[in-house]
This record gives sequence, C-alpha cells and structure tokens, in this order.
Amino acid sequence: MTVKQVNEGKKDNKNNRSFSLLFKNLFGNKKELSILEEEQVQSPWRTVVRTFRSNKVAMTGLTVFLLIFITVMVGPLIKPVDLSFSETSQQNVAPGFDLMKFPKSLDGNVADISIGPTFSVAASKDGKLHIWGKTRVSSVIDVKNLPKDEATGKTINMGKIVKVAAGYDHVLVLNDQGEVYAWGNNRQQQSTVPMEVKQLKNIKDIYAGYQCSIVLTEDGRSIYFGNQMNNDYNAFHSYQGQLDKLAVTADAVAGLTKDGNVVYLGTQQNSYANIPENMGKVVDIAATASTIAAVNDEGKVFVWGNVSVQKGEGNIPETSEKIVKIYGGRYHYTALTENGNVIAWGANYYNQANVPKEVQNADIEEVYTGFYQNYAITKEGKILTWGLKGYLCGTDDLGRDIFTRLLNGGRMSMTIGAVAVIISTTIGIIVGCLSGFLGGAVDTVLQRISEVVAALPFLPFAMILSALIGNSMSSSQRIVLIMVILGLLSWTGLQRLVRAQVLSVREQEYVIAARSLGIKKSHIIFKHILPNVISVILVNATLNFATSMLTESSLSYLGFGVQAPHPTWGNMLYGANNSIVIQNYWWRWVFASIVLGICVICINLIGDGLRDAIDPRSQER
Amino acid sequence: MVKYTLKRILYMLFVFAIMTVVLFSLYEMIPGDPARAEVEALKDKLKPDEYQRAYELARERLGLNKPAYVRYFEYVKGLLKGDLGDSRVHKQPVTKVISTPLKVTIFINIFNVLIGLAITIPLGIICAVKKNSTFDKVVQVLTIVGYSIPVFIFALLFIYAFAVKLGWFPVSGMKTPNFTGTQWEVIKDYAKHLALPLMVMIVGSLGGMTRYVRAAMVDALSMDYIKTARAKGLKERVVVYSHAWRNALLPVITLIIGWFMSVFYGSLIIERMFNLNGLGKLLIDSLNNQDYYVVMGIQLLYVVIALTSNLLSDLSYGLVDPRVRVNK
Repeated sequence: MTVKQVNEGKKDNKNNRSFSLLFKNLFGNKKELSILEEEQVQSPWRTVVRTFRSNKVAMTGLTVFLLIFITVMVGPLIKPVDLSFSETSQQNVAPGFDLMKFPKSLDGNVADISIGPTFSVAASKDGKLHIWGKTRVSSVIDVKNLPKDEATGKTINMGKIVKVAAGYDHVLVLNDQGEVYAWGNNRQQQSTVPMEVKQLKNIKDIYAGYQCSIVLTEDGRSIYFGNQMNNDYNAFHSYQGQLDKLAVTADAVAGLTKDGNVVYLGTQQNSYANIPENMGKVVDIAATASTIAAVNDEGKVFVWGNVSVQKGEGNIPETSEKIVKIYGGRYHYTALTENGNVIAWGANYYNQANVPKEVQNADIEEVYTGFYQNYAITKEGKILTWGLKGYLCGTDDLGRDIFTRLLNGGRMSMTIGAVAVIISTTIGIIVGCLSGFLGGAVDTVLQRISEVVAALPFLPFAMILSALIGNSMSSSQRIVLIMVILGLLSWTGLQRLVRAQVLSVREQEYVIAARSLGIKKSHIIFKHILPNVISVILVNATLNFATSMLTESSLSYLGFGVQAPHPTWGNMLYGANNSIVIQNYWWRWVFASIVLGICVICINLIGDGLRDAIDPRSQER
Repeated sequence: MVKYTLKRILYMLFVFAIMTVVLFSLYEMIPGDPARAEVEALKDKLKPDEYQRAYELARERLGLNKPAYVRYFEYVKGLLKGDLGDSRVHKQPVTKVISTPLKVTIFINIFNVLIGLAITIPLGIICAVKKNSTFDKVVQVLTIVGYSIPVFIFALLFIYAFAVKLGWFPVSGMKTPNFTGTQWEVIKDYAKHLALPLMVMIVGSLGGMTRYVRAAMVDALSMDYIKTARAKGLKERVVVYSHAWRNALLPVITLIIGWFMSVFYGSLIIERMFNLNGLGKLLIDSLNNQDYYVVMGIQLLYVVIALTSNLLSDLSYGLVDPRVRVNK
C-alpha cells in the first residue's frame, strides 16, 4: 500500500479528522524527524527489534513468558522441592489459606479447641459448636455435616457442648449432660458410639485419633472404639480405674495415671512401651504421630517412641522456665511454661514450630496443638495462631504442595525444552549447512537420513525409545534421556530450512569472493553463510521450544517421560484422568494445565512475532 | 512419472528395511530373558533339573539360542509372509491382536478427519477472504490457543464440563457394559460414548489446520490472476472458490493426505484417556506389558503408513498442479 492509499482510506473512515491525519501523514506519523535522521540507515537487526517491539501481541507474550520464566527459575531456590516428601494427612487439600481462620465470635469465648489434619473444631463457652478449615476430608465425607437423626432426617440437637475432639477424619463431642456424639468417617466404626459409652454418665474427656475414638471416665476408665488392628490398644489393660489423661499417637495409646506414672495401654513391646525410667511424678503427657512426651513436676520433658532425627521431636530446647504443660502436633511439640510462655520444637516445614513474636510477648493461658496448627489463648481470651495456614494451589494425592511442584516442575519442563531445542538446533544447523554447501553425495546421504527420521511417527517412537532404553535408568538419568530423544527426533524441519537458505546464498558474490580468497570451507560455512541464515534458525528454534515442551508434557502425562517424584508440568497431570479427580480435586489439574497452556501460547506468540519481524512478507498473511 | 514412482517405492523399501534393523536391534538391547519369564511360574512346581530342561526348551522354542542376526532374518522371513510374530501376552499372532484395535481406530478417526475438514476448510477460507476483520482476528487468537494447548488438557476440560458437570456423555469407554437393545439403541449408545473423544480430537486439530488453510488462501488471493479475475467483473464467489481455492489447494493437499493417513495412527492420548480400545492404547499397554512383538508390529505399520503418505503427497502435487509434475 502506498502512502496515498493509506491517506485515502483513513479519510473515508474519519472524515472530521482528515485534515490532521493528512498533516500527520505528510510529516511523519510517529515523531517528527529531520531529513538527516530519517535517512539514517538501520541495521537489519535493529529493524527486526523495532518491528518486534511494535507488535503488541508478541510483546505481551514475551512479557508474560519472561515473568513465568523468572518465577520458575528463581522460585525453586526459595521453595525447593523435597522429592521424598509425602504426608498422608494433607492429601488432596483444596487451595486456600483458611485452615486457621476461626470464627470471630470465638474470640474471648473458647471452651475447647481440637485440631484435625485440615480442619479444627471448637466449643465456645456458651456451648456452641464451631467447625472451620477444609472440612471436606475426602470426596464423600465432610465433617461439617453434623449427624442426623435417622428417623426424622433432622440434625440432632447435641445440647451444650463442653468438649471436642478431632480425629484424622472424624469428630467427637461431649455435652454437659455427659453424652457423646460422633460423626465423619465411620469405616472402622470410630464414629459409632457404642451402647456402653451411651450409658455412661461420668465421662471426663474424649480423644479421637487415627480411625479410633477413646472415652475417659471420672473414675479413671478408658473405653476404646474404632480400628483395633491399626492401633495398639489392649481393651483389658491393667490400669482401668487409675487413668487421669490419655495421649494418642497415630497407632498407639498411652495413659497418665492419677499418681503420676506413664503407662502404655497396648499389648506390643515396641518403642512406645519402652517408657523412660526415673521420670519422677509426671504431670502432663502428649503425643505426636510417632512419639510420646511427658513432663514431670520439675518441668523436665522426656520424649520417646519412634523419635526421628530428621524431624527432631527429641530436640527439646533449653529453657530457664519450668514447663507445666505439653501438647503434641503431627511431628512437633509445644509446651507452656509457668510464666505463660510458649516454646515449640520438632518438624518445622510448615513453620509449625516457629512461635511468633506476638505469642512470645503475650501471657498465654492455654495452647491447643494438633497436626500442623497451633492456637494459643491469652489470659484476656484472645486467640493467636501459628503453623500451617493452607496451600495456595492445594495439595496432590501424596499431600505435596502443588504450588512448590509447579515452580520446580516449570524449571524442569523449561530446562528439558531448552536442552532439546539446543540439541535439535545444533544438529539441524550442522546437517543443513553441510548438506547445502557441500552438495553431491554428502547431500544425498544426509537428506535420506533426515527423511528416515522425519518418517518416524514422533510420539509413538519417542515413547518406545523412552520405554526401552529408560527401563533400567534412574529417574534423573531418564530426564537426560528425554532431552536427548526429543532433540534427536526433531531436527529435520530445521535442517531442511537451513539447507534451502544455504543453497540460496551459496552462489552469492560474498561466498564466491570468500572461496576465491582460499578460505577454508568450514570457515565459509560457519562464519560467512551461517550469520546470514540465523534469522530462520531463531524463529524455528523458538517454535521448536514450544513443541518440545508440549511433547515432553504429553510423554510425561502418558507416563513415558519424566517420572515421579521429579515434577514437570506434564507429569503433574499424570493420574488426573479419572472422573473422581477431575470432579472433586480440580486443583490437581487446573493449575498445571493453565500454566502450561499460557507458557506455550506465549512462546508461540513470540515465535510468530519474530517471524513477522524478520520476514515482513509473512506479515501479509 | 512411472519411473519416479518406482524409484520412490524402491527407496521406501530400503528405508523400511533399515527401520526393521533399527527396531530389531533396539529390542535386542533390552535387558531381560523372555524364556526365563515364561518358565518362571513353573519354578515352584518342578524339580531343579526339570525346571532347567523346561527353560532350555523354552529358549529353543523362542529361538533364543541362535545369534541375533539369524533371528532377525527369521523375523524378516516371517514379515514377508505377513507374519509379525506372536504376542507374549495375548498368546496370539500379532496380526490378529492388531486387527480389532486398528478397525476401532480407523472408525473413530474417519469421523474426526471428515468433520475436521468440513470445519477447517470453510473457516480458513472465510478468514482469508475477510483478512484482518474482527472475525479473522478472533479466529487467529483462538487457533493459536488451540494449537498451543496439549490435547489432554482439552480432554480434561471437556470431561469436566460435559461428562462431570453436565452429565451429557459418559466419562470413558466404548459402550455401556452388557448393553442390550435394538440395533438403533446400540448405535445411539456408541455415539454417546464416542461423542466426547471425537469433540476433543476435532477441537485439538482445528487450530493448526485452520491456520494452514488460511495462509495458503491468503497467498493465493494476493496473486495477480485474482486481480485479473476481479477486473473481469467475476462474482466474488467464483473468484474465491474457483480461482483462488484451486490454487490454494496445492499446499493444503499435503496436509489433507497426511491427515487421512493419520486415521491409522490412533491418538495415543485420547484413546488412553477415554479408554477406547484402539491402536494407540494397544501400543501403550503392550509397552507397559513389555509385549515387544506387538509394539514392533504397530511401529512397522506406522512407518509404512508414514512412508506411503509421503509418497502419495509428492505424487498428488503432480495431479493437482501440472506445473510441478515430477519427471526426474
């Protein structure tokens, strides 16, 4: 289109502004330049950069891609992935930071709080029940659904609730009449209150653990219901009538007698039963998932059971104050001193053992600890919290934080894509240049090889290679294998382009001049010809990068690419293709899909923009 | 022309022969002893010397005692007779194992290709004719999104929307188990099961094809003969469909042939996701079960199809456009 046509076209459209438009078009649209400036010659690369920068869509693509790129390159440094991590209590948690968002009406009004894996239950002083957090503990069970009367179908009125106990996936409550109600998962009958308990009028405390519930009476008896196989509990233990307090691990029960001795209520001789001697008079006991702790009347803490060095339940910090009470989380302990201070130790990957400043400064009266959450009640009744608030993108089927895996998976996906592109581009350039420049027999052989590789159906062949060769490889060797396979199978397109370009410049004057000067062939190819065909290579490499990422994700999705526990955006979707996951755990596939989609779209936009900038003719299309 | 074709076919045979060597040596590289795997179950029942004999027999029967090149030639001999070996898992000749899934795959893919072409060609033409209009720009953006997003993400989205939320279609499978009814009801049941995978396949393939048709058409419309045709006062319809489209067909024809050939391929991802009993799923299952004769059979089939479609598209150039008739 000539300038005249542009002017006329614009005049038709906007008649009222025609004069100013005419003026603008006559004296340059963007910026008024003097004649000298306008005649200044730009190098082709600067033209390319300018055209590219004026392309809004491509620039948006570049910006978004760079943002994602920087995030996934820097993110893993801040949030490294622990490949061996898995936590059953945090499986399939929905996104959101509301795990410790207690209702406001509870402030200054707490009678009891109990904490489950992702939800918390509380009784207020006026006997009301509160439940918050992620109450949907599985695709069918929501602990927010209070028990219903089977006859009328109405929610049972449980009266004035004084005590609550949250188990792994069920809840127990005790009202002021001494009645116990239970609901939630009932597979092991842990939510079916037995007749024996219903007849009791002197219930003192209730406990809920993993698939089990225990009731403690005023006269020191314990009654257990739920899974007998998983939890080591002897219903006929010899301490009936002496018990004052119980502590429940993930698979065992320990008790504190009224005269200050710790007793093990199971039958097995395991590490829990190996209770330390000479503890003196014990005043409080608590349990994590795998250890038991006791504190004696001198404030000394003892921890035993399956103490893990890595988690550090046994690393009791030095303190000058006397510990009076102790509480157990999943893998950490908190303790309250006589001066109302709180100390915590043990596993700390959710900051559950980092007591915040405001808690340290406040005068604490009571602490409630469970799993990864902690609630501290000050003397004034204010509730302070620390620990696991929730997950930005939820967790997957092994309880791993999806956001962390997205960051690390992104780095892996991009690295694989980039290395594959580097391999394929290198091969493509070398083969294309040699084939185009040398011609003859070399050309024929190389082209036939290239045709064979191009004739292979890509995905099936990559799959077969990965399955056959990768069979006996470790997962990090497999990652390298995938890069190499992708690179080795995708060089043919570029090779053909480079060859065509080389053929077209081979007979140009500068090459002939270089030849007549007696310059080495390899020098001519790589120093004289290659820089002139670099633009084609650049566009192709960009688009190839997108394709490589897509192929990698498809392979990993099918289970033939990078395998767990190493995350990539593709294999994070592996296992998401059943209707239960798609429906109930949408966060397991939505985030990875979105980020992969956006990333590939951006790369394609950049590639298209680059092609338009380098080859203005293609813009016509 | 005939000479060229013969030359190409000869070359195809050569490539095919190379592929059999490459694949065969790949499978040779896999660690593991099929004979040992076969007699493993007998280990507890038999005495050690009997077990050893059974093992030797199995080795003899599977031909493992011979050197690799002898076995390769035996495999090729069988290949020439149309025998692809026996499946270890299915205990049947590979040709028999492959035939049913192949039919399923062809059946599904023919629909995919036909519907895909029926949508993409008119869409591409309209976009090219209305170049730079809002409609065109919207379609351009959608097609970029379409070919950038992997097909399994589309599948997840579609399952979520149409199967889980709306409940219009079943989530996976080919037919309702133990379904009985009249012929018409059976067909309806099939259609209901296949609708979702077909939709996903079509949406997944729209993007690239539409862009390709559009580019070819834009090129054709910018030619001088189009200006001449318009100057003659021909109707726009005639200009577009008979002058421009015929010339745009040349680049498109390669793609169409490639697409038609892909009816044999089977979509690995779709078949796996929707649990369709096609060739792609058979390939994945066989790879997972280490049933390598089946894998090799499927792979060789793929190679043959790819080579044939290359030849056909080269030859079709000559048919569509007499100017490029190959006479080398």
